[in-house]
Amino acid sequence: MSKSSHQATVGSYVSGFILSIIFTIIPYYVVVNKNISGNQLLAIIIGFAIVQVFIQVFFFLHLGRGPKPLYNVAFFSATLCAILLVVGGSLFIMSHLHYNMDSLETAKQLAESEAISQVEGNKTGACQAIKVNHKIAIMHTQISPTITEARQCDTLSFINSDSVNLKINFGTPTKSETYAGQTELSMRKGLSDTITLNQTGTYHFYDPTNLSSTGSFNVQP
Amino acid sequence: MSKPMNHEESVYDRTMFGFWVYLMTDLLMFAVLFAVYAVLNNSTAGGPTGRELFSPTAALTGTLLLLTSSFTCGLAMIAVRKGNKNQVLFWLTTTYIFGLAFLSLELIEFTKLIHEGHAPSSNAFMSSFFILVGTHGLHILIGLLWMVIIMAYVVSRGLTSNMMRKLALLSMYWHFLDIVWVFIFTIVYLRAFV
Repeated sequence: MSKSSHQATVGSYVSGFILSIIFTIIPYYVVVNKNISGNQLLAIIIGFAIVQVFIQVFFFLHLGRGPKPLYNVAFFSATLCAILLVVGGSLFIMSHLHYNMDSLETAKQLAESEAISQVEGNKTGACQAIKVNHKIAIMHTQISPTITEARQCDTLSFINSDSVNLKINFGTPTKSETYAGQTELSMRKGLSDTITLNQTGTYHFYDPTNLSSTGSFNVQP
Repeated sequence: MSKPMNHEESVYDRTMFGFWVYLMTDLLMFAVLFAVYAVLNNSTAGGPTGRELFSPTAALTGTLLLLTSSFTCGLAMIAVRKGNKNQVLFWLTTTYIFGLAFLSLELIEFTKLIHEGHAPSSNAFMSSFFILVGTHGLHILIGLLWMVIIMAYVVSRGLTSNMMRKLALLSMYWHFLDIVWVFIFTIVYLRAFV
């Protein structure tokens, strides 16, 4: 056998074996006996795994003892970097996605936007059929009508009859509100935006560029 | 290179490096499967989590079996260096038995899970579990088949330089699978009980 690569001895295998057993048993006992909690414990067992991998790479695979230059060590390091990016990146992105898009909340929003009234027999709160369409026209800072009476599952259209792009905010200038997850609507000039009235109650809205233009709508169940 | 090399030695080193490159790409594949598993860890769709499904003792037993087989595989390589054919066959057989025991344990676990209704199609968590651990098991199966072929060659042709090179590749492959298992043991089995 070539002298250059495997300069392993029984001793190196035995020490690798014993160290690996130790680094397997310790995290096992720590986990089973649960002396430490949560994230700390997770960090400890992953730490033990990483150390054990380096023990085996060194004592069993004899990395770093081959012919120079050590292309295999270089390749190993490059692979570790790629793994770090792939695994770390996936976990980072997916945990943020999970954090920012709670699955229940996402399902509700989807059900609303797609008008899915029930999933497997469970009511989602979304409207099954749209009933009446109410219109609110905005022109030259005038909002008409200023008070709209509607029932749940009706729709409400804000029509921009002005020659400029407009925006309305929900709530009052001093206290903002959300309606169906939205805090504001924007209508380009001459166009409208329509919302489905899922939530019941009385809601106010105003034109942020002209705070005296206000209105409200009342949604009855 | 500092010293001139004979032809055989350079073939040996190039083969080892080529195989090392393969192992690293394989490692990347496992890394992706680990990432998928970690992301889908809680996606049980109301089904049981790993804590209710896995047995830490069985996982520890499997780990020690595979670790021992990795160790005996190393001893086989030392016998190869000494040119002792019978010792090579003895240690390879030991390695094979421990590897087979490991694989059987894993198959028993899979069968039990599927029998209890926790199949790969049950939920995303089970899918990622079976894919990750199953891919490793498939590698072990391939390694065992390869080992049988190599042992047959050693019996019929003896320890030629060609055979020594193949034995070195096999041992690298086997140690590599043990290293991947360390992470499966930690991330899949131990982590379920944290």
